[in-house]
Amino acid sequence: MQAPQDFKTPRMPSGKRETRRHTPKANMSGLYQRAVREAFIKLDPRTTVKNPVMFIVWVGTIVTALVTIDPNLFGTVQADPGEQRILNGLITLILFFTLVFANFAEAVAEGRGKAQADSLRSTRSEAIARKLLPDGTIQEISSTELRRGDQVKVIAGDMIPADGEVIKGVASVDESAITGESAPVLKQPGTDIASSVTGGTRILSDELILNITSDPGQGFIDRMIALVEGAERSKTPNEIALTVLLTVLTQVFLIVVATVSPLANYVQAPTTIAILISLLVALIPTTIGGLLSAIGIAGMDRVAQFNVIATSGRAVEACGDINTLVLDKTGTITLGNRLAAEFIAVNGHSVEQVAQIALDASIFDETPEGKSIVLLAEQEHQAKTTFDPAQAEGVEFSARTRMSGTNLPDGKEARKGAVDAVKGFVRSRGGTIPDQLDAAYEKVSRLGGTPLAVCQDNDIYGVIYLKDIVKPGLRERFDQLRRMGVKTIMLTGDNRITASVIAQEAGVDDFIAEATPEDKIAVIRKEQSEGKLVAMTGDGTNDAPALAQANVGVAMNSGTQAAKEAANMVDLDSDPTKLIDLVTIGKQLLITRGALTTFSIANDIAKYFAIIPTIFAAAGIGSLNIMGLKSPQSAIVSALIYNALIIPALIPLALKGVQFRPLSADQLLRRNIFIYGVGGVVAPFIAIKIIDVLIPFS
Amino acid sequence: MKHNFFRPRLLLPQSPGSVLETAAIIWEEGRRKELPRYLFLGLCFNLILAPAVFAATGGDLSKVQAYWLAGLGLVTVSLSIYLFFVMFVPEKF
Repeated sequence: MQAPQDFKTPRMPSGKRETRRHTPKANMSGLYQRAVREAFIKLDPRTTVKNPVMFIVWVGTIVTALVTIDPNLFGTVQADPGEQRILNGLITLILFFTLVFANFAEAVAEGRGKAQADSLRSTRSEAIARKLLPDGTIQEISSTELRRGDQVKVIAGDMIPADGEVIKGVASVDESAITGESAPVLKQPGTDIASSVTGGTRILSDELILNITSDPGQGFIDRMIALVEGAERSKTPNEIALTVLLTVLTQVFLIVVATVSPLANYVQAPTTIAILISLLVALIPTTIGGLLSAIGIAGMDRVAQFNVIATSGRAVEACGDINTLVLDKTGTITLGNRLAAEFIAVNGHSVEQVAQIALDASIFDETPEGKSIVLLAEQEHQAKTTFDPAQAEGVEFSARTRMSGTNLPDGKEARKGAVDAVKGFVRSRGGTIPDQLDAAYEKVSRLGGTPLAVCQDNDIYGVIYLKDIVKPGLRERFDQLRRMGVKTIMLTGDNRITASVIAQEAGVDDFIAEATPEDKIAVIRKEQSEGKLVAMTGDGTNDAPALAQANVGVAMNSGTQAAKEAANMVDLDSDPTKLIDLVTIGKQLLITRGALTTFSIANDIAKYFAIIPTIFAAAGIGSLNIMGLKSPQSAIVSALIYNALIIPALIPLALKGVQFRPLSADQLLRRNIFIYGVGGVVAPFIAIKIIDVLIPFS
Repeated sequence: MKHNFFRPRLLLPQSPGSVLETAAIIWEEGRRKELPRYLFLGLCFNLILAPAVFAATGGDLSKVQAYWLAGLGLVTVSLSIYLFFVMFVPEKF
């Protein structure tokens, strides 16, 4: 079967990464209306009880509602019941809106994920599958009836009924439904990078026989929907740790506020239940309590917007804690399409002769490298094919022989390949190895290129210099990672000299030359044994063990099913460089959570100084009322209004994330303490004073 | 068949036999639905607690106020136990 001509592979998405989104685009219209409705539905105590800080506010709201109905319910108050009722009602209303705002933040974050899931769901429609029966006949059944292990036939125009592996045929497939990239992708059996297909994508030409690899509801799109919807969202270790911290703070303040009443009576400054509840709500960390889950959901959402599907929030967070990045050279650090740049003659041959033999050896080579050799020989050195290709035989490259070439009609054998392999070939034909070959090999390696030796029968002609180009801007990014304390290790099958030159040019910290797939898992285990967290990318079945071993394994969508199942993230654009962006997103998530926690706890200090001196002014601490708030009622209402309003004010920051800066942990800590710590103390002082001036309490 | 706790038939038994049946159903529902059971037990416990609060305040509060205050104390203690539970089993929340 002839491969279609209108595809490009490997596929690299077009446009700036930040601008790319899933196709079809998630429909965000009506997001806020739905979030408002959800915010009220989430007031159900069975939902609120999952958030300890907000559950305390929920109970407080019920109690203040009771004292609004009857101000003397828990004891006779000295103030006028009418005035007391208004104050209690106002406190109830503010506490109620504090709950609604916190729920709203979570609902907006969830709504964005749900909109994305809806857009994915629209791509998943029931298709008719042509199931191949054991006797070779075809039975048409619904795609929902397919099971793992079934074989199906798909022809041009069909929607692929379920995830599978190509076992026969070559065809181009439109994967835009999941990747957003409109260029078709070639699918064929036996290759690591192009044999897996995804249910819901469409075959554009020819036909394929597929082996189904997933049961109904377990397919790739089904799993993506479940993940972006948050159905499988469980708390990450950092979230659990923060929940414990917030709960401890809440417990401490609950005990303090519950025992303050006798002390207040003792100092002749009796308080009401509503004021004590206000004090409690102002002291507990409601800001971070209300925004915590929204920050986590938004982190997943940011990863999804980068066309990466994470299997869990834990994986996204782990990206932020990564200490070591293991990166493949080809495609990640270098552009991947090595091109012939120069022919170097040895053994007394001319450059033209090298070009001629290189052309002969590459005439059947369809790889970008092979095509570039043909182009260089023909255009720069006027080499021409001197035989009828129909009479010649192409010798394909294999990992075992590490060379390719052509058996010419006159019986001669032209070969090109790894220098060691070509040396072996020449020796096997009775030839000798000239000293100049090693010098040429070293020269190319020192330039950071890949040397390919060229020979015909027992005669070595020279070396082809395959130029590898380091992706622009990588050096700066690796510098940034180094400043953040992330070590980068480059793995390459190239020789040590080439590897060291590329490593130096790209600015990686370490490299492993002549690496085998087993070396990947070995380097990950070594780093992990030193207590480090490791991230890596991979696409082949032989990468699967290393992807599973790494703390963050990012599989390429173009990779095999085994790689995708072993990894905890799948990159829909199949762009290995994205691993660096994922580290940034993970760090941004952690920094955002840390910054808002600092801000929330710093806020409590200011609220404490707003409320306590005014309530206990009778005890002689009125001079601590440094803001000069008008009255206890005004101070409480102002602090609570600020407490409620700061939650929706911080929703954009929680969803968008704090701007990421490539700083070391110490620098980040200092910066966050200054901006969110000191700012978190100063901002409420100013805001509470302004609210105090504006509200009509005397 | 699933019983509805609030069906009028249950609240207004027609004969002594149905009273026992109703009691059995309420008991069964109570075993199945934990929140109403805990609320009921809390309210009953508050009947014991309220006189103690009333006595401790030396007559400053009415009996109704003492009952509500005891209830508030019970809620506060329950919240504290709940927070301890969150601290020890945070992954459930």
